[in-house]
Amino acid sequence: MKRYTSRRDLLFSAGGGIGGVALASLLSQEKLLAEPTGGLPCVAPATSGGASRKPHFQPRAKSVISMFMTGGVSHIDTFDPKPALRKYHGQPLSGVGDIVVRQGYPGPLMGSPYTFKKYGQSGLEVSELFPHMGSIADEFALIRSGVCKSNDHVLAHYEWNTGSLLMGFPSVGSWVSYGLGSESQTLPAYVVIYDPRGGPNAGVANWNNGYLPASAQGTVFRPSGDPILDLRPPAGITADRQRARLDHLAALNGEHASKFPGSTELSARIASYELAYSMQGCAPEAVDLNQESEATRRLYGMDDPITEPFGRQCLLARRLVERGVRFVQLFNGAKARTDIDDWDAHSNLADNHGAHAREIDKPVAGLVQDLKQRGLLDETLVMWHSEFGRMPISQKGLGRDHNPGALSFWMAGAKIRGGQVIGATDDFGYRVTEQPITYHDVHATLLHLLGVDHKRLTYYFNGRQMRLTDVHGELIPQLVS
Amino acid sequence: MRLNSLVFVLLAATPILAQQPAVSILQRNCSGCHGASQQMSGFNLATREKALAGGSHGAAIQPGKPDESALIRRVTGKLQPSMPVGGKLSGSEIAILRQWVEAGAPWDSSAALAPAQVPAPAGRKITDADRNWWAFRKPVHHQPPVATNARWRNSPIDGFVFAKLGENRLNPTAPARKSTLIRRAYLDLSGLPPSPEELDAFVRDHSPQAFAKLVDRLLDSPRYGERWGRHWLDVARYADSGGYEQDFTYPDAWRYRDYVIRAFNEDKPYDRFVREQIAGDEMDDRTSDALIATGFHRVGSTVGFREKDNPQYRFIYLDDLIGTTTRAFLGLTVSCARCHDHKFDPILQKDYYRLMAVFNPYVNYNHPLVPHAQVAVYEASKADVEKRIQPLKDRLREIEEPYRQAAFDSKLATFPVDIQTAVRTPPETRTEGQKLLATQVLTIRPQGYRALMKPEDLAAADAVSKQIRELERQMPKPLPVAMGVRDGDYRLAPMGPGDDEAPGKAGSGPRADDANDSYIPVAGNPYRPPKSYFLERGDYTSPGEEMQPGFLELFGGLGVPTAIKPPGSRITTGRRRALAEWIVSPENPLTARVMVNRIWQHHFGRGLVLTPSNFGRMGRRPSHPELLDWLALEFQKSGWSVKKLHRLIMNSETYQMASEGGTGAEADPENALLWHFPERRLEGEAIHDAILATSGKLNLEAGGPAYFAPVPERVRKSVAKGIWVVNEEGPAVWRRGVYSYFKRGMKYPMFEVFDQPDPNVTCERRSVSTVPTQALTLMNNEFVVQQARFLAERIWRTAGPEQQTQVRAIYRLALSREPAQSELTANVAFLNRQLAAHNGSASPGLEALADLSHVVINLNEFLYIQ
Repeated sequence: MKRYTSRRDLLFSAGGGIGGVALASLLSQEKLLAEPTGGLPCVAPATSGGASRKPHFQPRAKSVISMFMTGGVSHIDTFDPKPALRKYHGQPLSGVGDIVVRQGYPGPLMGSPYTFKKYGQSGLEVSELFPHMGSIADEFALIRSGVCKSNDHVLAHYEWNTGSLLMGFPSVGSWVSYGLGSESQTLPAYVVIYDPRGGPNAGVANWNNGYLPASAQGTVFRPSGDPILDLRPPAGITADRQRARLDHLAALNGEHASKFPGSTELSARIASYELAYSMQGCAPEAVDLNQESEATRRLYGMDDPITEPFGRQCLLARRLVERGVRFVQLFNGAKARTDIDDWDAHSNLADNHGAHAREIDKPVAGLVQDLKQRGLLDETLVMWHSEFGRMPISQKGLGRDHNPGALSFWMAGAKIRGGQVIGATDDFGYRVTEQPITYHDVHATLLHLLGVDHKRLTYYFNGRQMRLTDVHGELIPQLVS
Repeated sequence: MRLNSLVFVLLAATPILAQQPAVSILQRNCSGCHGASQQMSGFNLATREKALAGGSHGAAIQPGKPDESALIRRVTGKLQPSMPVGGKLSGSEIAILRQWVEAGAPWDSSAALAPAQVPAPAGRKITDADRNWWAFRKPVHHQPPVATNARWRNSPIDGFVFAKLGENRLNPTAPARKSTLIRRAYLDLSGLPPSPEELDAFVRDHSPQAFAKLVDRLLDSPRYGERWGRHWLDVARYADSGGYEQDFTYPDAWRYRDYVIRAFNEDKPYDRFVREQIAGDEMDDRTSDALIATGFHRVGSTVGFREKDNPQYRFIYLDDLIGTTTRAFLGLTVSCARCHDHKFDPILQKDYYRLMAVFNPYVNYNHPLVPHAQVAVYEASKADVEKRIQPLKDRLREIEEPYRQAAFDSKLATFPVDIQTAVRTPPETRTEGQKLLATQVLTIRPQGYRALMKPEDLAAADAVSKQIRELERQMPKPLPVAMGVRDGDYRLAPMGPGDDEAPGKAGSGPRADDANDSYIPVAGNPYRPPKSYFLERGDYTSPGEEMQPGFLELFGGLGVPTAIKPPGSRITTGRRRALAEWIVSPENPLTARVMVNRIWQHHFGRGLVLTPSNFGRMGRRPSHPELLDWLALEFQKSGWSVKKLHRLIMNSETYQMASEGGTGAEADPENALLWHFPERRLEGEAIHDAILATSGKLNLEAGGPAYFAPVPERVRKSVAKGIWVVNEEGPAVWRRGVYSYFKRGMKYPMFEVFDQPDPNVTCERRSVSTVPTQALTLMNNEFVVQQARFLAERIWRTAGPEQQTQVRAIYRLALSREPAQSELTANVAFLNRQLAAHNGSASPGLEALADLSHVVINLNEFLYIQ
């Protein structure tokens, strides 16, 4: 244990995940807002300062909302129209070498069942699956040239969410919270809200801290009720009783710490109890959607049982970044137990994507609109993505298999120029032909937009200075210029 | 073209001598990766023509324009990745290269990087400077300094430590109080606090041997192996399931966990421990434990799914074996040499592939842990049951087949017409597209056919299924097996889940010409170990020359044995055994140092080398190099006895210093020189165990299959694969944390929040974070609150209603000491306040005590070894 070090060290050892620069005005607002919700009020602890750390350079955004569609969204049925597919429908895809499919046997080319329409001033083409996302087409930069290595859901999740094909590496959100800490004193830096039906493919590995300190781990929030595990005392322990215990604990711990003058770790632990106590009030306040107006709730589709669950996730994401949470990751789709749980449309594309598109289209667009009208979009990076695209050829007649060779995703906010299209695929959307963009490039760009140089954000582990982007990663010029 | 002719003119005008320095800089620094033998990114500096042609990132040299040349931009760090990887050219070298590009990159053909000058694939040369790195020189005996101060003369360790403190003008703290010392020793060696009786006996024992006897007692207790075995399990990246998508359970992994615990308890000589884990199956005396020990190679993360279609997995596992083995036993990062020579240490890419050839023959194998005769009986009776089941399965298929067909037909009717047509068109007249469609659709397995079945057929099918189930119950009970490895031919591994022998899929390809008859070698048949190749850039699809097994070139000439001899009695290559012998050879400079450093680390919270799995250049140098060497030699001399090492360390004054007080904080804030005993937080498992020990509810049942800790439903929901058994709180799950099922896809939340390491890679040292979620766990978690209540009940039962007695009892139980007068007063006052607050409840005294108990197990003093 280290002794007599700087205040910065104290804050650091208090854990990157928690603490943060006091946003006095925000916190006092929260105090006012929180009182009527029952339970403990949301009051920031008396200790000032926090664990927000300085970026390397002037950031374009303060926080990130990542929406991950687990299972593999078909790019050619959503954001990458391929008229040639209809023309050659039913014919084999030839001249591309061995076609590696995940399941069964390669089928013939299959035209998209959906029509595409041009949207906004940019005239960006979006399929009829996503009319609401079409309506915000001028807000996001569409990338049609995403590529990854694995055609396995789980490995591809590791790639996009941790930058490695192997299990156990720190997630993007963990790197961000390790690097930048939280701006909230009372909420974790990195919050994950997964589909109420269950966790995504690859589960906790998506938000795992790997070799980074536990403080960098994503904290799973439940979308309603007590958002955090062990947030409140079990039945029989009233608020008064808990407070009495904590006061006595603080007194005894203080006495003990006086024997170890300058021990940053012991004082950090004492402080962590006060932070924990504040979280008991502030975390429920953050997820209390009763404070939102009817109009806002409608904007997110919360008035419709189909769109309500993802609408709730999206609205929570906005509330969390408003409160200083650095990285919010939402998942739609639960790890496949049936053919329809996630976006994994092997046997019937239209049934599968139809259902999932309906669940998320309005909430996603609502989130971007809401952030914009509140002036938050410029300082928030919003991403919508999936682990890989799908094959232009059919599977089991009506479905599509996995295609790591091409995927479409978009990024909005962070002062990114909306309406632009980056990269391109071949006539069938089988492979990327122009400006292939890897997850390393996306990670480098994401960190850059947050003011962090991906080559300088390192952590010593097992003999090496580790990096999110390993030895790779190039900035996507259209997004950082 | 115009540019080229311009360059030509310039070249002709430049004296050859001026060209040489630039070319030789390139040759020295770049040709290993961009030369005749290897062209990373397609870039080749072998000749001027090739250099100007550039690579996959385009042109690297723009003659005449240094600022636009990628080569210059990379060596100056303006373009990433900067070059050379892992190094940096000097300012003058960069200046020479700039001038050279400015001058049009002149290049005399005689200065070409001819293949002969470029070392073979692994180009790095091992130099004397490499061999002189402190960790690669054999430990040397140093005479322990004799301290002037009598207190520091009992143990040679103290001589080293005290001398270093003196050199740095640091004063050590006073000896720790006896109550502190017994608690420290207990938590350190057994992971549990001492009982009040043990505390009293020790405090009363004034003999000079009191502490030494205590250490002996603790080392004799089975609790010791549970505590120190857990440390090794971190290194062995142990878990009870495979992780990845399916998170398959490892039903027999616990035997390896118990083996490790047993090895520490039995004080198994460390060299034997190493041999057994690496090559227990190849040893002459293969005991059950030796076979179980090879689980070291099995307990890492594995996919266990569709592996035949995905040959890359085999290389991921081999990398895990190479990486874990070399980090764990040698403190070397050999994995860094998978794609290129190690950037910092003298480890060649060839070394990596020599080691791959050592491991490559391994196959997963569950060694039966019963005599051969019993195995034969088991196999026969299993075959007999299977034989009786088969006709029933055939019968079942017969009954169901028409309905399957009907279900398929009705499913087909839901498809678009073009697909129906494709399927119904006779195979010979299908178009190419129709052929693809038909193949796909015809392989769909129909669902829901049972609903179509006539009642009598349904009844008949169910009756047959019932018979099958009854027969299956007659299957003999599975034999106990060791989840281990042996040599064989992995290419012939049996099909596993998700593997598919469909035409065109990888698993069904033609057999390699060197393949064997079977997965496991059969006596009497020749066994050819699968060949192993050098992989260009680590890419398994780019095999180079065939590699022979071998070890690190760096150690050549050290006299470490390198002969590989198959043991005569069994069909196996003996390669892993030779690796183990090479590792434990007394001539190996690393092995003993690495292990004594790990032991030191767990006693003091930090090793003499701060990076226990990296003794290379990117690791930290030892704080006390002479002491490390002295300990390493003592360790070898003692017959590699870990327990003797514990005694040596713990019976030193260095170990028995107080953690508080002292004056070295300004000069040495990290306490690297040990001017005080470093206080440190307990690990999650130890906190869990200490709580249970204090509450009196700890169930000391040792060994056997893992228990499943109670985990809230909301946590379980985030995982869908693998197994989890839902349990309630109760004695069955109040066992020591080391026996808790360690699922890769879902950690036990309390352990996770207290920094349990990720089990997918070997862990040299746990991180220690301090976060509010830890406080939330200790404040609100049901397990903790319940145990606090048990502690209160325990005190209530034993100490009675008198408050001072209660406070004393709780301090003695939980903190192993008497409270100070001020603490007595403060705690009694707290009890009285709570008594008043609970006025009206059934037992206000007990409620108040529950409040105090909960506070006490949240105290820093409870959570820290000090």
